[in-house]
Amino acid sequence: MLEGAELCFNVDHGYLEGLVRGCKAGLLTQQDYVNLVQCETLEDLKIHLQTTDYGNFLANQTSPLAVSTIDTEMRKKLCREFEYFRNHSLEPLSTFFTYMTCSYMIDNVILLMNGALQKKSVKEMLVKCHPLGRFTEMEAVNIAETPSDLFNAILVETPLAPFFQDCMSENTLDELNIEILRNKLYKSYIEAFYKFCKNHGDVTAEIMCPILEFEADRRAFIITLNSFGTELSKEDRETLYPTCGKLYPEGLRLLAQAEDFEQMKRVADHYGVYKPLFEAVGDGSGAKTLEDMFYEREVQMNVLAFNRQFHYGVFYAYTKLKEQEMRNVVWIAECISQRHRAKINSYIPIL
Amino acid sequence: MGSLFRSETMCLAQLFLQSGTAYECLSALGEKGLVQFRDLNQNVSSFQRKFVGEVKRCEELERILAYLVQEINRAHIPLPEGETSPPAPPLKQVLEMQEQLQKLEVELREVTKNKEKLRKNLLELIEYTHMLRVTKTFVRRTVEFEPTYEEFPPLENDSLLDYSCMQRLGAKLGFVSGLINQGKVEAFEKMLWRVCKGYTIVTYAELEEPLEDPETGEVIKWYVFLISFWGEQIGHKVKKICDCYHCHVYPYPNTAEERREIQEGLSTRIQDLYTVLHKTEDYLRQVLCKAAESVYSRVIQVKKMKAIYHMLNMCSFDVTNKCLIAEVWCPEAELHQLRRALEEGSRESGAALPSFMNTIPTKETPPTLIRTNKFTEGFQNIVDAYGVGSYREVNPALFTIITFPFLFAVMFGDLGHGFVMFLFALLLVLNENHPRLNQSQEIMRMFFNGRYILLLMGLFSVYTGLIYNDCFSKCVNLFGSRWNVSAMYSSSHSPEERRKMVLWNDSVIRHNRVLQLDPSIPGVFQGPYPLGIDPVWNLATNRLTFLNSFKMKMSVILGIIHMTFGVILGIFNHLHFRKKFSIYLVSIPELLFMLCIFGYLIFMIVYKWLVFSAETSRVAPSILIEFINMFLFPASETDGLYPGQEHVQRLLLVVTALSVPVLFLGKPLFLLWLHNGCSCFGVSRSGYTLVRKDSEEEVSLLGSQDIEGGSNQMEDGYREVTCEEFNFGEILMTQVIHSIEYCLGCISNTASYLRLWALSLAHAQLSDVLWTMLMRVGLRVDTTYGVLLLLPMVALFAVLTIFILLLMEGLSAFLHAVRLH
Repeated sequence: MLEGAELCFNVDHGYLEGLVRGCKAGLLTQQDYVNLVQCETLEDLKIHLQTTDYGNFLANQTSPLAVSTIDTEMRKKLCREFEYFRNHSLEPLSTFFTYMTCSYMIDNVILLMNGALQKKSVKEMLVKCHPLGRFTEMEAVNIAETPSDLFNAILVETPLAPFFQDCMSENTLDELNIEILRNKLYKSYIEAFYKFCKNHGDVTAEIMCPILEFEADRRAFIITLNSFGTELSKEDRETLYPTCGKLYPEGLRLLAQAEDFEQMKRVADHYGVYKPLFEAVGDGSGAKTLEDMFYEREVQMNVLAFNRQFHYGVFYAYTKLKEQEMRNVVWIAECISQRHRAKINSYIPIL
Repeated sequence: MGSLFRSETMCLAQLFLQSGTAYECLSALGEKGLVQFRDLNQNVSSFQRKFVGEVKRCEELERILAYLVQEINRAHIPLPEGETSPPAPPLKQVLEMQEQLQKLEVELREVTKNKEKLRKNLLELIEYTHMLRVTKTFVRRTVEFEPTYEEFPPLENDSLLDYSCMQRLGAKLGFVSGLINQGKVEAFEKMLWRVCKGYTIVTYAELEEPLEDPETGEVIKWYVFLISFWGEQIGHKVKKICDCYHCHVYPYPNTAEERREIQEGLSTRIQDLYTVLHKTEDYLRQVLCKAAESVYSRVIQVKKMKAIYHMLNMCSFDVTNKCLIAEVWCPEAELHQLRRALEEGSRESGAALPSFMNTIPTKETPPTLIRTNKFTEGFQNIVDAYGVGSYREVNPALFTIITFPFLFAVMFGDLGHGFVMFLFALLLVLNENHPRLNQSQEIMRMFFNGRYILLLMGLFSVYTGLIYNDCFSKCVNLFGSRWNVSAMYSSSHSPEERRKMVLWNDSVIRHNRVLQLDPSIPGVFQGPYPLGIDPVWNLATNRLTFLNSFKMKMSVILGIIHMTFGVILGIFNHLHFRKKFSIYLVSIPELLFMLCIFGYLIFMIVYKWLVFSAETSRVAPSILIEFINMFLFPASETDGLYPGQEHVQRLLLVVTALSVPVLFLGKPLFLLWLHNGCSCFGVSRSGYTLVRKDSEEEVSLLGSQDIEGGSNQMEDGYREVTCEEFNFGEILMTQVIHSIEYCLGCISNTASYLRLWALSLAHAQLSDVLWTMLMRVGLRVDTTYGVLLLLPMVALFAVLTIFILLLMEGLSAFLHAVRLH
């Protein structure tokens, strides 16, 4: 891409950028959340959502409403928008979109393999898959028994193929191995995506690289947190960390040595960005979890992405914000349907 | 006149509706369309209002009706559209209606589900027969062409090697056959190859006729495939892959008899299914036909019902909960109609207590209501595009009726084009009751809505066309030119006159390519042409120069008159709102500013036209120079237009310069004086305190009402009369901005009005070009071919004229006219 994207960006992507900004304006506002929280039943929730940009997306659902239907319908809506963007995009934006779908595809593949391991039927698992990461070969995932099988037979022609280079092995796929596979896939995925954005240069790189760096570091922290008390060795753990974040290389080496949450926190203390996140985590019941803090930080970065023009980050940011919004609505709906109103306010506000 | 000139006087009325009869009353009101409701529950979120349950019920009904309409459309049953719109259903019928609709929906869903199932079954059977037919050829081919298969013929003939019992017997060779979507064939084959590492043989063939996809209902091409594989493990994988690609897999018969048997069985089942399906479809059609009769009116009824409940949601309850209170805006002239509608509503529901209303005084600005008829509607729409005027302001739409078409016509001035446009509009107006026009697509509808504007625009264009003497870029010589060429020759004049003048003789005519007529010679110019521009100008080479100067001056004059008119309308507004000071401090300085500069310009133009005749025209000064000199105070003395010109100009400039500070500071200073100085001046004080007292009373009145109402406390702040904080800085700022805008606007608008000239020029030139490029070429060829050529030429000319000139130019002129307003 040449310098000065302002000159020619709009020729190819101006329409889509305008569209995505319009969509962003349709995100639920603080006032909407205040109203949603007041709802007594899911029907009320539905009525209120009708007054927002969701429109009557639930109009054809016969009552009683289930939380899962709300979730699927919202996902469908996001998927429709995303498909529209993708179908109207030109290179290199379409590659960017492909990269965006990859993470959902990885999740889906892993989900299906886990399902196969637990002898669940494919149909049952397919419903749970994220519609953004759907692809034809997906359903045949359970044929494979080893990662290289999986690669050779099924995923060779999907966009996921390049990420498989590091994780070819003949291990049978048990639960731990699947998890390792997921993290390895994710590692190479994020690194590839980071490289793509970096090479693209310009505003896109300036916006997307920090977001992806954060994403990489978050994964590193979460992996460390989840690996406490499992049989994963420290060397193995280090191989799972994505290497494009701010933590690379010293932080990751320190993290690999960490043995409990306190040590992890000490590592984070070296970094100005992550220190406040860890400090805000409390122990009490009403306090926020580390995950929530990461989500909040992510939302913040995504909202800021809209402050600049002529870059692809807005699409990524919009999708992530929409996802967060869906998580919020689902959370509120769950709280309402389970009559568990005490925690209803702990959604992540989108600024 | 009154209603056109200003918007209607409105008043705020409070309706007390008995809760039993509220629905009927609102229904009666809704049919009349008299009032605008105010939302009294603004801070109650939408799902906490009183009638939310009813609204939900309406939505449920709407959902069912939408489903019905969808099914009816799918069955291609025409929807009868009732002409009349039925009133909202009485409450008693609502339940009945709901029950009916729900029953209908359940029935319909059942039937369609059955139908779908049957169809799917039928499709599968059809697919199966196709598959059997096609795979028969496969086997024959494989036997013929593939030598590897020859080892197996004994096995293949063995009836034990049925696909279904293959696994049980642990046999090695298996077949899977079925249909696959056309688009997936390639990927399917690749995946098979990769997974099974070549232990399979795939043959497939395209199915000639496309079949419906049972999931999406789309009609697509299919491929029939046959996979022969070796070994049980691979068999599992193959089946999984088939699942993955959504293949329709059917059991594969191994022997010829079996195949025949299955085929026979299938054909009889298909026959049976066809008959059943037909019966189901017939029944479905009956049900839908019955539903279709009433569905249209039901849709409207439910919509009305929902609207009524939405309105009821805006009302508040009084303390006793027996009575709903609604606040409405209503035109004063129609209060009695409102009363009657209320009575009607309560009579219909047979309530003991009638609903009643009273008007309440208010300080809030009422909404603007401007009544339109089909003639003024189009003009009102144009005016509304700039913004709706506030309450009781002068409505400029009345004047737009004349000014808008006139400005358009100044730009579009052409007799012929104007007449075509007029005819088109007339056609629309005469056929305005034709139903197809009302429902035509967007562009046509646009023309239709503006038909009266078009009519007037056409008419005015004919007029200006006459003035410009322009008909399809040619002149019309109606009265005979007033210029006489023969008078230029020497013979008709007396000898002593001849000496003074430059006359034509033979040598002049021979040697000069351009001849000049001199109006100062008697007999050459015989006085002005009766209407518009003399047709002789069409022949003159300096036609453009002449027209330019004429049109430019004319457009400046028109523009300034138009702007002055706007300021005068502003004076009317100030008079009506009793803001005398605004007239003295804003409008009059504005007028002075404009007239002293541009009014004087007009004066100079007209003066020059009147005073200088053909004889003295050589000494006439240029208006432009004079006008510039007015500002520059030149040192060198020039002869002005008239004696004493310099002093007049100085005076005018001083007035202009004085009016600017008045415009800037007058109103804010006056308001400041009103605010601070009321203690010093008795007269202004009494008036001012009167206003204050008035508003205080208002507040207390409202307060007491609130205490009575009890439940009304929430909108306390909303209804309270807003006592405006006096903010000098803000007022000063707005006034300064307004003044700067006005002063600059005056100048730039005058320049803007020059576009009248530019566009009319462009229009004339374009039509001229069209004429020379097309008609001339056609006319110049010699007669024999000429006739043949002329016919398409004329047609082309007509088409181009209509499209380029009428539509394009008309549109651009229209846009510019809008801009100028």
